[in-house]
Amino acid sequence: MAATRTKPSAREIFTTLEYGPVPESHACALAWLDTQDRHLGHYVNGKWLKPEHRNSVPCQDPITGERLAICLQAQAEDVVAAVEAAGTAFENWSGLPGASRAQHLLRLAKMIQKHQRLLWTLESLVTGRAVREVRDGDVPLAQQLLQYHAVQAYTQEEVLAGWEPMGVIGLILSPTFSFLEMMWRICPALAVGCTVVVLVPPASPTPLLLAQLAGELGSFPGILNVISGPASLGPVLASQPGVQKVTFCGAIEEGRALRRTLAGKGAELGLALGAESLLMLTEAADVDSAVEGVVDAAWSDRSAGGLRLLIQESVWDETMRRLQERMARLRGGRGLDGAVDMGARGAAAHDLAQRYVREARSQGAQVFQAGAVPSDSPFFPPTLVSDLPPASPCTQAEVPWPVVVASPFRTAKEALAVANGTPRGASASVWSERLGQALELGYGLRVGTVWINAHGLRNAEVPTGGCKESGSSWSGGPDGLYEYLRPSGTPARLSYFSENLNYGTFGLAVPSTLPAGPEIGPSPATPYGLLIGGHFQAPGARSSRPIQDAQGNLHGYVAEGGAKDIRGAVEAAHQAAPGWVGQSPGARATLLWALATALERREAALTSRLERHGTELKDAKVEVELSARQLRAWGARAQAQGHVLQVAGLKGPVLRLREPLGVLAIVCPDEWPLLAFVSLLAAALAHGNTVVLVPSGACPIPALELCQDMAALLPAGLVNVVTGDRDHLTRCLALHQDVQALWYFGSAQGSQFVEWASAGNLKPVWVNRGCPWAWDQEAKGAGRELGLRAARTKALWLPMGD
Amino acid sequence: MPSVLAEPSLLPAFSKALDLSWISKMQVNQPAVLRRAQQIQARRTVKKEWQAAWLLKAVTFIDLTTLSGDDTSSNIQRLCYKAKYPIREDLLKTLNMHDKGLTTAAVCVYPARVCDAVRALKAAGCTIPVASVATGFPAGQTHLKTRLEEIRLAVEDGATEIDVVINRTLVLTGQWEALYDEIRQFRKACGEAHLKTILATGELGSLTNVYKASMIAMMAGSDFIKTSTGKETVNATFPVAIVMLRAIRDFFWKTGNKVGFKPAGGIRSAKDSLAWLSLVKEELGDEWLTPDLFRIGASTLLSDIERQVCNNPLSWDKLTSVFLRKKRKIPYWAMRTREKTSSDLPHCTQTSAFIQANPHLKWADWTRERECA
Repeated sequence: MAATRTKPSAREIFTTLEYGPVPESHACALAWLDTQDRHLGHYVNGKWLKPEHRNSVPCQDPITGERLAICLQAQAEDVVAAVEAAGTAFENWSGLPGASRAQHLLRLAKMIQKHQRLLWTLESLVTGRAVREVRDGDVPLAQQLLQYHAVQAYTQEEVLAGWEPMGVIGLILSPTFSFLEMMWRICPALAVGCTVVVLVPPASPTPLLLAQLAGELGSFPGILNVISGPASLGPVLASQPGVQKVTFCGAIEEGRALRRTLAGKGAELGLALGAESLLMLTEAADVDSAVEGVVDAAWSDRSAGGLRLLIQESVWDETMRRLQERMARLRGGRGLDGAVDMGARGAAAHDLAQRYVREARSQGAQVFQAGAVPSDSPFFPPTLVSDLPPASPCTQAEVPWPVVVASPFRTAKEALAVANGTPRGASASVWSERLGQALELGYGLRVGTVWINAHGLRNAEVPTGGCKESGSSWSGGPDGLYEYLRPSGTPARLSYFSENLNYGTFGLAVPSTLPAGPEIGPSPATPYGLLIGGHFQAPGARSSRPIQDAQGNLHGYVAEGGAKDIRGAVEAAHQAAPGWVGQSPGARATLLWALATALERREAALTSRLERHGTELKDAKVEVELSARQLRAWGARAQAQGHVLQVAGLKGPVLRLREPLGVLAIVCPDEWPLLAFVSLLAAALAHGNTVVLVPSGACPIPALELCQDMAALLPAGLVNVVTGDRDHLTRCLALHQDVQALWYFGSAQGSQFVEWASAGNLKPVWVNRGCPWAWDQEAKGAGRELGLRAARTKALWLPMGD
Repeated sequence: MPSVLAEPSLLPAFSKALDLSWISKMQVNQPAVLRRAQQIQARRTVKKEWQAAWLLKAVTFIDLTTLSGDDTSSNIQRLCYKAKYPIREDLLKTLNMHDKGLTTAAVCVYPARVCDAVRALKAAGCTIPVASVATGFPAGQTHLKTRLEEIRLAVEDGATEIDVVINRTLVLTGQWEALYDEIRQFRKACGEAHLKTILATGELGSLTNVYKASMIAMMAGSDFIKTSTGKETVNATFPVAIVMLRAIRDFFWKTGNKVGFKPAGGIRSAKDSLAWLSLVKEELGDEWLTPDLFRIGASTLLSDIERQVCNNPLSWDKLTSVFLRKKRKIPYWAMRTREKTSSDLPHCTQTSAFIQANPHLKWADWTRERECA
């Protein structure tokens, strides 16, 4: 820093004892840019692609503004070329034995090792991040990721039998995310046999360099293709035929927009959004160490986002004093200086932080800034915001880099409520020397990663992801692999997009139901109620809907549920959630087994109901029998869930927990009306979710029969069943902000609507895209995909030592 | 060079009544401290002019030490000479530092050698303080009475700084009041001499104990807290230092008194010394970077610093001699009898006689002449 001042002599420094510049030479980065004539294109199919007549943007040094290179902007046809190349490469790559893929990944790791200096100087030069962080953190981790995933590729046939690679994967990165975020996602994709097209923001040469390194290995060009272009190309990439999955890393609003755009477009969408983190500092903490945790989280160049800091009131003053003291010692400056803590992140990040701080101040917050940071534009000093009024917009908004927003709490319980009250859920750390308290908070936080008495640790073996608005895409560990796998035999995903679907009116109006003719049958059925909060109640609309049997005769009436009933059901499910989560897996299994026994007792009635709907007697018997078996199977599976990871370089375990999604809404398919209902229900309950179910539209009666047992056996509110117009109920559920996940099995239009509407609270959704499923087959009805979707992962880091 | 602790009247201000609430709640998280220790070494480096200046500054913090069974007056003499002239004059000239009167902060010897050191320094006409270890160094397992007597005798002999070791038994069994009382008595026995309390952190069991022992030592009136005797298996390490520095800062915030810090044992390379300087600068700030508040206990460090200063590109172009760039493991003032007999090294008595006869000559020149011969 302060390179403009005249150089002091050793004699002067002897008195002042100040730090001097420690410039890292970036000659090799410039030399690499020179090999491209300072003119970067895209790297596709093992070759540089530099099409003519394209717009270009300059790639600048964020600090000096010096132009380093010109980057071509891709257009749709370049995207097509890249996807084609990836598609061709997929045929070879996915067919390889895992051992060969492992070999290739290891060669790439070696390649990175050989050129690591080029990698870190280029990254630091272009992004402005502190070179030390890139050199000591990112580059070794990139190699570790490749090594870990090479091992996973090697054991794939054995460990991941029954799964196959999805195909071509699209990865969209936004400018705030570094090349490392790309590595986190391409490594598992390549390991399991997928090929990747990465869309990077303009002027980011590091991913291009990585692609070149991979390309220069020779044997498999086209497995990694990198094109640089504007964000608007994202949907173009995602809707290319052949692209099976798109992973997006970026801002929350961009992710939301992409979710809406891609509704019905075929490719599955994985979102990893936002970069804010949370730190909870209790009075039992080692405060000085926790302050270092804050530095790691927000004021080193490790993380891309800001930090929400919760401090227990009794240690508030002490912590603030230590924080401010520590901030004064932070050094900012040119990223290529070996002795700075914080570099600069370019004008956009600076403006974002500036705007946030200005707004916070206008809303009455105290702002403290310190540190030896140059005062001119791209640099932004470490900032500590406190005393924000709880209701001010800044309290809710995402905290940008390098801002820390501190707020007090009184008790651990309150802290948990505040932390879980934010819409984001990526990562958090808990600082407490009391083991019991730390574990309780760690388990209670609704986030993807929890560190106890540490912050920002990452390892290739530990899954990293989030929940709520942070998106539910995972990388690293076993969860990262499943992101790019699907059960063997699943058909390729095609677009089922319907232009005619009007999101504004889909399912808005409920068709009126009128008396539907004479009731015939053994016993004219009375209208069933809705199972909400443990008992049957009449629908809010006070009307019923006729159900016809296979011959078109009236079979009976079911309740016509509506928005009000959905609200009641979701509320009841929320109330039941803490009790059910607190149950041991054994207790859950017992209940599911009891339900299986009850179901078997009703076998005759259920069989006859199914028969009346046109199922053959033999098939009806099989369906009932399979249903009972599903309940038992999932009950048994509830026992074995998370596991412990042992991580290199960390003393102590990392727990990979499988936690319930929360309130899960399930819209059941028309096919296999009883079996599908039971399979979905059993998987959801076994993993600790509470559910709101919409049974089959054509044949809800067997499910409702079973509800009578559920009302008697299960705790109130655990299972809520609402019948009615499926489109209308789907609409209510998909738009509901307190529904934490949604599975939809129904029409193509319904699937598209669900995907579109899930953008609201970014709930994870699982849709069948209008394709009927064979629920009687092991792979589907009881498959691991169901288990995978029914819970979310949490990584709990427990460093140890005394 | 401050040799004595200010006025005696200020003494009571440095000690404080025992307040166990300052330590009772404290818990140090070891893994977090280890991470910080790792980071701090990688995050701050100095190069070129800065490195040269920092290294010279490090010299002024050194308590040049010899604590060996075979110390005699002759090697103590050499030690004192080196303390007075720690860096070659020509090197200092190239850096324009020759008129700064650069010396080490103190010399540190066993009580029985205090007289030798005081005499040698007096002969050299300098005011470098003599520090003596005391209180049953290094184990501290002798009777309190003899330990106190040891302090008094060392002070009588002219030591102005006393490095005492604490009784680890008291820490490990949690007898904090007893520990406080003992150090109070050491403090009294020291009179006007500086009290440096060695915590022997390698034997305290946990970082939390290190923090608590630091706090007690400061409350009892220590002028410095010191990491180790250099005789334990684990010596001055960064994690321990971080905890002690944080304790010093807490004590300063609570009482307004600045207590010094002295890492000792295992600090051998110039690079290490730079890391220690930046550690203190980061954790406590520039005010602590003075010989009053920061010392490095070392015997072999100085020779490496001298070599590195010589290796510094700033010195390169101007110096013709490359003598010091040759790697030498043992500096002459730290030589032991058994090493002195080896063929390429001068005989001990010869050396001291030569040095006494030619006070203007530096060791390097002397050796060069010898090599030529």
